[in-house]
This record gives sequence, C-alpha cells and structure tokens, in this order.
Amino acid sequence: MKDEPQEDVFSDKLDLNLWARVFRHALPYQRLLVPLAISAVAIAVVDASFALVTRWAVDDVVKAGNVLNLWPHIAVYGFLAFSLAVGVWVFINSAGGLSNNMSHDIREECFKRIQELEFAYFDHRPTGWLISRLTSDCDKLARIIAWGTLDLVWAVCLVFMIAIILVVLHPVLGLLVLSVVPPLIFVSAIFQKKLLLSSRDTRKFNSMITASFAEALQGLRTTKTLVREQDNLREFQGLSSQMYGVSIQNALQSAVYIPIVLTLGSVAAGIALWRGGAGVIDGSLTLGTLVAFIFYAGQFFNPINQIAQVLVQMQGAQAAGERVLSLLATVPGIGDSEEVGAKLKLWDTPDRPADIAPDGHPAGIENLEFSHVDFSYSDGEPVLKDFNLTVQSGQTIALVGASGGGKSTIVNLAARFYEPTGGKILVNGHDLRDRGLAWYQSNLGIVLQGPHLFSGSVRENIRYGRLEATDEEIEAAARSVNADDFIRALESGYHTDVGEGGNRLSTGQKQLVSFARALLANPRIFIMDEATSSIDTETEQLIQQGLKAIFQGRISFVIAHRLSTIRTADRILVIDKGRIIESGTHQELLASNGHYHALYTHQFQQEREANLFESVG
Amino acid sequence: MATRQTTETNTAPLALLWQQMRGFRGKYAWAIAALFVFTAINYVTPLIASATIDFALAQKPDESRLTTRIIGLMGGADFVKERLWFPALLMVLLTIIAGGFSYLKGRFAAEASDGIARRLKDRLYDHLQRLPARYHDRAETGDLIQRCTSDVETLRLALASQVVDVSNAVLLLLTALPIMILLDGRMTLVSFVLVGPIIAFGYVYIGKVKHLFAEVAESEGQVTRVVQENLTGLRVVRAFARQDFEIAKFAEPNKLYRDRSLKLLHLMAWYWSTSDLIVLIQQGIVLFTGAFFISQGTLTVGTLFAFIMFLNMLLWPVRQMGRTLTDLGKSVVALNRMGEILSEPEESAPQNPATPPSPALGKIEVTDLVFGHTDENAAINGISFTVEPGETLAILGPSGAGKSTMMHLLLRLYDYSSGSIKFDGRELGDLDRQWARSQFSVVMQEPFLFSKTIGDNIRLGRGAAENEEIREAARLADIHDTINGFPSGYSTLVGERGVTLSGGQRQRVALARALLQDTPVLLLDDALSAVDAETESTILEALRSRHGRRTTLVIAHRLSTLAHADKVIVLDKGRIIQHGTHAELAEQDGLYRRLWTIQNALENEMLAETAP
Repeated sequence: MKDEPQEDVFSDKLDLNLWARVFRHALPYQRLLVPLAISAVAIAVVDASFALVTRWAVDDVVKAGNVLNLWPHIAVYGFLAFSLAVGVWVFINSAGGLSNNMSHDIREECFKRIQELEFAYFDHRPTGWLISRLTSDCDKLARIIAWGTLDLVWAVCLVFMIAIILVVLHPVLGLLVLSVVPPLIFVSAIFQKKLLLSSRDTRKFNSMITASFAEALQGLRTTKTLVREQDNLREFQGLSSQMYGVSIQNALQSAVYIPIVLTLGSVAAGIALWRGGAGVIDGSLTLGTLVAFIFYAGQFFNPINQIAQVLVQMQGAQAAGERVLSLLATVPGIGDSEEVGAKLKLWDTPDRPADIAPDGHPAGIENLEFSHVDFSYSDGEPVLKDFNLTVQSGQTIALVGASGGGKSTIVNLAARFYEPTGGKILVNGHDLRDRGLAWYQSNLGIVLQGPHLFSGSVRENIRYGRLEATDEEIEAAARSVNADDFIRALESGYHTDVGEGGNRLSTGQKQLVSFARALLANPRIFIMDEATSSIDTETEQLIQQGLKAIFQGRISFVIAHRLSTIRTADRILVIDKGRIIESGTHQELLASNGHYHALYTHQFQQEREANLFESVG
Repeated sequence: MATRQTTETNTAPLALLWQQMRGFRGKYAWAIAALFVFTAINYVTPLIASATIDFALAQKPDESRLTTRIIGLMGGADFVKERLWFPALLMVLLTIIAGGFSYLKGRFAAEASDGIARRLKDRLYDHLQRLPARYHDRAETGDLIQRCTSDVETLRLALASQVVDVSNAVLLLLTALPIMILLDGRMTLVSFVLVGPIIAFGYVYIGKVKHLFAEVAESEGQVTRVVQENLTGLRVVRAFARQDFEIAKFAEPNKLYRDRSLKLLHLMAWYWSTSDLIVLIQQGIVLFTGAFFISQGTLTVGTLFAFIMFLNMLLWPVRQMGRTLTDLGKSVVALNRMGEILSEPEESAPQNPATPPSPALGKIEVTDLVFGHTDENAAINGISFTVEPGETLAILGPSGAGKSTMMHLLLRLYDYSSGSIKFDGRELGDLDRQWARSQFSVVMQEPFLFSKTIGDNIRLGRGAAENEEIREAARLADIHDTINGFPSGYSTLVGERGVTLSGGQRQRVALARALLQDTPVLLLDDALSAVDAETESTILEALRSRHGRRTTLVIAHRLSTLAHADKVIVLDKGRIIQHGTHAELAEQDGLYRRLWTIQNALENEMLAETAP
C-alpha cells in the first residue's frame, strides 16, 4: 500500500452504491430529515411562485385599466416572502444539523476503528497517510455531505418546480424553453469537471511551493555556504511559473464557461419572447405569462450550475469516500475468539475475585513461553523460525544482535501486537489466543525506543500508566525511577507541559518519564526497546537505577543497546536471522569468545568513547 | 519591528494595493473596461424585451424616450410585431457579445492577479534567502511560510475577484442609475430604498460572525491534533491498552467541532433568511409600486419589467458587498504581513567588495576576535590563531564553548563585532560575501540535504561535476556502497518521497558534497559524530592521504580524530585555554590530558574484560 495518498484519482462514474452507504449515516437523524424535505420543497415552490405573483399582478393591472386594489396581491407576496425566509432558516438548520452530525459520527467511527485494528494494519500505512484519512478525507466527505447535499436538494427542487410551472402555464412554450436545459446540464458538467481538475492542479503546485519555501528556510545556512541563492531562485521561479500557468488555465476555463451558460440562458429568454410574443398577439397568452416566462428562462442558470458542481465534487470526493468506508469496513485481525468472548461475558463482572482474570483464568502471570514459533510479516519473508524461549517471572532477558534479526518481532509477539504464523505463545501454560486480549495487554508495560509522550503535563503523562492513580502514587513511581528530581527542577514541576510528542524534554528525560509511566501500570511483563541515542553520563546512571526498580519481580524483555543494561540482564540472547545463536550471562558469553565478544568489542566500545567527552567537559 | 508595523498599517490600504499593481495596471484597466462594456450590454438586453412588450405586444406606447428610441432602432413597432424572432435574436447576439467581453475581463483580471502573485512569491523567496542568518534565528519558520503562501493567496483572490467585484458593483450602480432615471425617476427612488440597509446588514453581520469562523477552524485543528498524537503515539496507546481513554479524548474536540460548526450554521441561517427577506421586500416594493403606477397609467408594463430585471442584476452584488468588504480588509492585513518581510534589510555588503582570484591559498589569521552574545550563539571573547595553507586545525571544547560560532564567523553567516579575520592576508569583512563563502566547504553536525536525488545533492557542491567525480567524492566519504545499496542508487530521492537517511548517512552525503566542492578550506563542524568510529577512521585516512591540498578546520569529540591534526586548540567559554600539537598537549596538565588518560583507562578496562 505504498501509494501516494496525497491527491485523489478522479472517478469517471458516480458510484451510487458508495454514496448510498455514506448516506446510511443519516438514518439516526430522521427527526431532521422531515423538516429538511419539507423546507426544501417549500423553498422551491415559494421561489418559483414569485414570478407567478408578478404575472398575476401585471395581468390584473393591465385588465383593470384603472386604479386597482393591490392589497390581496401584496398580502400573498408578503406571505410568500416570509415563508421563504422561514423555509431558508429551517432548511439551513436541518441540513446543516444533519450533515454536521453525520460527519461527526463518521470521524468518531473511523477513530474507534483505528483503535481496534491490529498492528499489522499500520505496518505498511505511514502515519501521515492515516492522519490524512481521518482528517482531510473525512472533511472532504463532510463538506460534500453538508453543503453539497444542501445545494443539490435546493437546486433539484427549484428546477423541477420551474419546469412544472412552465409546462402548466403553457405546455408548448414551456417545453420549448425547457429544451435549453439538457445542453445547459451537459456544458455545466463538462466545465465543472475541468475546473475541478485544474483547481486540483493548482493545489498541487501550491503545496509544492509551500514545500519549497519550507526547504529554503530550513536549508538557509546550507544555501548560503554553497552560494546557491541564484540557483535556488531559478528553480523556484520554474515552480511559480508552472503555478501561474495552471492558475491562469483555471481562470480561463471559468471565463469561457460563464459566457456559454449566459448565452444558453438568453436563448431560452429569446424563445420565450419570440414564440410567447406570437402567443400574445394571437391571444393565446397573456402579457403577464410572457413576462413570467422570460423571468423563468433566466432562473435556470444558478440551480443547474449548482447541480453540476455538486455532482462533479462528488466524483472528486469519491476516492476519499471509498477510503473512509474501507477503513470502516476493515475487520480487526487480532481479537478475542468467540469462546474467550463467552468467558469474558461470564467473568468480567465487578464482583469477580481479585485473583481471577476477566477471562476466568487465574490472574497472575508466572511465565511466558515461545513454543516453536514461526513468524513472517505480510510480505512473506520469514523472520522467526522455530523459535523457543521460556521466561519466568523475575527474569530479565536482554536481546542483542544486528538490526533486522528479529529482536523487535520477538517483543511484538510477546505483546500480542502480532500473532505467530506457526507454533504458539503460552502464558502460564495456556495459549495466548485463549486469553482475553484486553486483560493481557493491560498487564504489559512497554517503553519504546523513541519514548513517546503525549502533550500535556508530566503528571498526566505518568498517569497514563494507571488512570486512577493518585498524585502520591505518581510521584512515588517517579521517585522509584529517579525521575522525581529532574521533574521538580522543571519550571512548573509535575505540571510542566511537555509539549507535542514530549519535545520540550530531552530524550533522557522522556525516557525517565516513560519509565515512571510503565512502573505506575505495575505490569507483569515489562518490555523495553532501549534508546540508541547517546545520553549524558549522569542521566545514564539515573536510568540504570530506574531500570533496576522496574525489573524487580517481573518478566522483562529488553532490546538492549547499552552495555550497562546488558550487564544487568539475567540472560542475554544474541539473535541473528530469527534464531537464538548465543545465550548466557555477560561473563559467560564473553568467555565463549563468539558473536557476543565481537559485538561487544566493536559496538559497545564506541558508545563509551562517544559519551566520554561530555563526562569530562 | 513593532514600530515599522504600525507605520505600515497607517499607509492607506488602497495605496498599498495600488503599489503592488505596478506593471499590471494596464491589464487591470483593460479588465475594467471589458467589464464596463459587459455591464452596459447587459442593461440594454432587457430593454429590448421591454420595448418589444410595450410597443409590439401591449401597444401602449410610452412617453419614455429610451424605449421609443430602441423600438425605433429595431425598425419600428410594426416591423418587430411581424418579426418577433428579430428582437429574440438580437438578445441572444448581444449576450454573446457581452460574453466575449466577460471572457476578456476574466482573462485580464486573472493574468494581472496571478502575475502579481507570482512576482510577489519570487520576490519573497529571493529576499528570504538574502536575509541575514541573524534574522532567521529569530523568525518562526511556520509563520514565514504562511506569509509567503496563504497571505499571497489571500491577496491574489482579492486582486482577482474582490477588486473586480467592487469595480463591478460601482460600475453597475453608475451605469444603472442614469438608465433607470431616464426610464422613470420615481421608480429609481423606490428601487434603492433598501439597498443601503442590505449592504450594512451584510457588513455588520459578517463582522460579527468572523470570530466564529476562526473558532470553527481552531477546533478543527484540535481534532487534527488529537488524531495526529494518537497515531504517532499509537504504540504507547496499545502498550497501555488505553483505547477507551483515547476514544473519550477524541470525542471531546470532535463534539466541540460539531457544536461550533452548528452554532455558526445557526447564525448563518439567520443571516441568509433575514437578508433574503430584505431583498424580497425590496423587490416587492418595486413590483407593487410599479403595479400601482401602471394602474394609474403613469408606467408601462415594459418599464416595470426593465426595473425588475435591473434590480435582480443589482441585488446580488449588493448582497455580496458585506463579504467582499470584509475579504478586502483581510487582504490588506495580508499585504502588511508580507511588507514586513520585504522591508527587512538584506545581508550587508562592503562598500567595494574585493573578489581576489580563485582559488585562494587558504591561510587564515584570526586576531583578538570578539563576537557578541545572541540567543543561539555562544560568545567569542578574543581569540587569536593562525592556520597556514594546507594545515589541519582541530578545535575541542565543551558544548557552548563557541566552536560552531567560530565556524559561522568564518563563513560570514554572522558579522564579528571586533578583532580581525584575515583570509590570505585580506580582511574577511572587506571581501565579497559570496566569493568568501565559495572558498569554504562545510559539513555541519546536522547537515541539510535538499529533497532532490542523492546524486543531485552531492552535485550541489559543483554543478559541472561529472558523474564519475560524484562517485569518487562519495567513495572518499565512504557512502558510495550505501548509495548503491538503495533501489535507485544515486537517483534515489532524499526525504519523505524517497529514503530517509540516518544521521551518519546524511553526514557522509554532505561530506561528499563538500569534497566535490574542492575549495581551499574545508570546515568540519562535528561532521562525523553520527558515523561509527571505524568508518570515521576510514574517512579520515582518505582525507589525510590528500593532506596538504586544503586547509582543514575540524571540530571533533573523538580523540582519535584530534590526534592527527597539525594543531589543536581547546576552547572554553569563548576563549582558547590550551593550544599546541597533540604531543604537546598530552604532556600539559589540562582538559586535553584528562581526556587522554580516561580514554586509555577505558581501553585497558576493555582489554582486561575481554581477555580470555
């Protein structure tokens, strides 16, 4: 799925089935549908009736030949004007209410679905891609649902109303005038599509220009030192000329389109005047009817233009709609089986004994076993082959080895983010698939390589580990991992806002906070992917002490990069090509003078050297 | 900056707009002329129908000279009555002609506004590149980008549509008034009763709901932020099984976004229904006053028809006027924001910049150099040293000692406050800035690569370089094999659309770029920090084999790098605290020896541990 998600393919056909599925989201809002339908029809009827009142007044005045009592006409006109205003008010409120609620619901459903989907789903979908699904696609869809439908309903009702009135007033002349409608629709559809495509081009170039500005600013020093100002400007001018080109093209398209439509409108008016005038002369038509006809002829342009525009926008938004709906239709690949579900129903009650898990098994986690586990990602390349490992509570396992060897896969399987493609993983001797997923994962504490914090205070971030924790418990956890001192030294202590992604803290600080968060969760299984970036010696020591507090009495997996961490592990596994090639303690492995020895002398030595300078300076 | 902002805001907005239109005013004149013709024809067209109705059909000849004239021009009432297709055809033809002018208007207005926008963007881009590094240290990138893109777009829209819209409305009024007065003075008066209130209502209303638009946009941003955070922190969410918590966290802004949109919509519903009502009342007043006059015999049906048509034409732009004026206000703000950038002074140039013949020898003499403190740069407090052509100088010191600042001063990214830097015996400040820069090649700790292919990134060092030379530079920087390992080799794009290079890979690509430049002086600002020690020594070995070819200044942390320099200076707090060769410094008491001792101790420890 490494497609380019930025711009949509333009669908040639309107997929009615798709739109029907989108509009199924309107069903919960039936109370809005009734006023919407009534007001839409009412507006169209009233809008189309004004010319009739004009005709009525003109005909009466002409007939009367002298001063006429106009009050009845004025009363009807006033009533219509007032009804129209009320209709517009009801229409906008109900259509807007409907569409805003629909897009709210679609966004919420998408978000929920994203939370349920298994990890494999995210492997080949970059974060940016998913973000645009939930934001720009949903917005695009929402805009169509909101304003598109609003315009469409209004325009269709109006066109139908006018057509009916014309035919009723004078069938032959009515049909004659209506004959310009098909070409009008045709021309509008063609041009609206052209306009949509060229404005999409404009947007594309616009975002390229934005990127170009961003690059110019970020690379400013490089530009200056390479003396590239002229070359950069030349490249930029190439881009801005292309932008100029497509923008002009877009403007010219609408410059051509409007006169064509106006001309078609005048043809309709001309027909009305020519044939209608003849009708007046031979007495088959009143003067008022003629005036009404000429008015109506001019009224087609707007609604038909709207219809064409909305239909074309729907074609353009179809790809967005498809992606959103397909996201909603994706079934999570990892979840509780039916049997587990049944057990959960039985046992997941508030009065369940503390030593029983919600899935009916005993609550503790004593050991974890990989039994003949095979695994491959969706590309089919095997990562683990017949992998075996048993870990008891209280043990710390350090995983070392070249990247791509399968270390991350092992911890991802241990966390049940993925499931083995062969063999099984057993917890307390039971297949992991027979245990409740939510229960199991709530027993995990995970610290990732790039420690991610959410924007918010330090306190809120630690509390993420256990939502009901008290402030005291949070601070105690921070103290255990040696994070308390630095947190108190921050400008607002525990209330300090860590910024987006925690970026106001250093990597080391973020790691300490994520330790506190993991410790607060009091997990049975602790998993850590150690950060590779160098941290100053002082923080490094704090981290090591913090880790000791965490490792106590749990099953711990560490993808280790630091010598100090590796040394404290009970067992070091050297992983290569999906297999354990060496296993033992630091001393044992060094003594055996194998892979670990080589790794140690090459890789870890550099780490020490790199940190040396800061410790002295 | 604050003072300038106020002065510029005080400049009349229209004058500012007028200034930007320079060079395109002719096009605008044509656009407005075309618009004028278009409008005029549009007024005549209904009059044809009007005259036909009155003279040929109703046969109630009016006193009005205008319609009498028109029917006369069409060949008289009887002629038209016999050939009703003639006025119909005339209407269509006139519309086609009007359409031609409408096209011309659209074309000229687009060419002018897009031309102005393009020129502005080019100017902004060029100007930003030439602003001093000091300006960019303070400026916020996001804000600058917004000014250069969406502010320009706001202005472009104003120039393309609002300026034309306002001219259109004014022209409509100016042309309609005389025609309408000629037709019937009383009806003209009646037609304009509510025009003022309509404009005022729109203007006041849009002004009032403006902040709501901002609020909706803001909560939309909040929704995006939560989604973004959730997805980037997806693993953390799963790690703590916090899905429900996240769903609840999302529900809040999602609901707020909906509710604010609904609130805005609710207000818009009042706006549209009320303004519809006012417009309808205005039309009703014309219709019934007209009907009353007809029944009195002082107005014809045709004239009433013409008035209704005119009113329809006038009311739409009038209704839009409130929004148009608001948008025009926005574009003035946008213009001011761009003006702020353009009025910043560019990098200063000396009076008569010297450009000695290239290549320079590469001798650097620094004497009593002082550089004041700014936010981002460590100060330099009187530094003196000399590097002979071809020599390697290593600079060592804790972070904040002023090492990078020293490099930046050599590159003239900043201007030193006192003391002197002599380059080949000439004061650096008297040389042409760009010439001086072209004598240095530099690799920074976090080098910037452009979103081009890897090959093109290296080629930036020397545009005329052969492919083989690029490969050679890449080999020297020990990145050739890595590049060949990428699916598209040297044609692999750097960045989001291609490969994401690791820190060490970026450093090596930048090194290849610098080596390709082949300048007299090479500056390495902690340039191999992310490269592992083994690779680093390979690279340094390769550089050393070309020793003597160029002057090299290197900032490094690894002692292995420092040991091979001709000279080492140790900086602390902007001063030189130690200087000499590696051998000399290893003997002296001080920072350098302390480092050396610890490194040796570490090696011994490792030896002991790994001993069988």
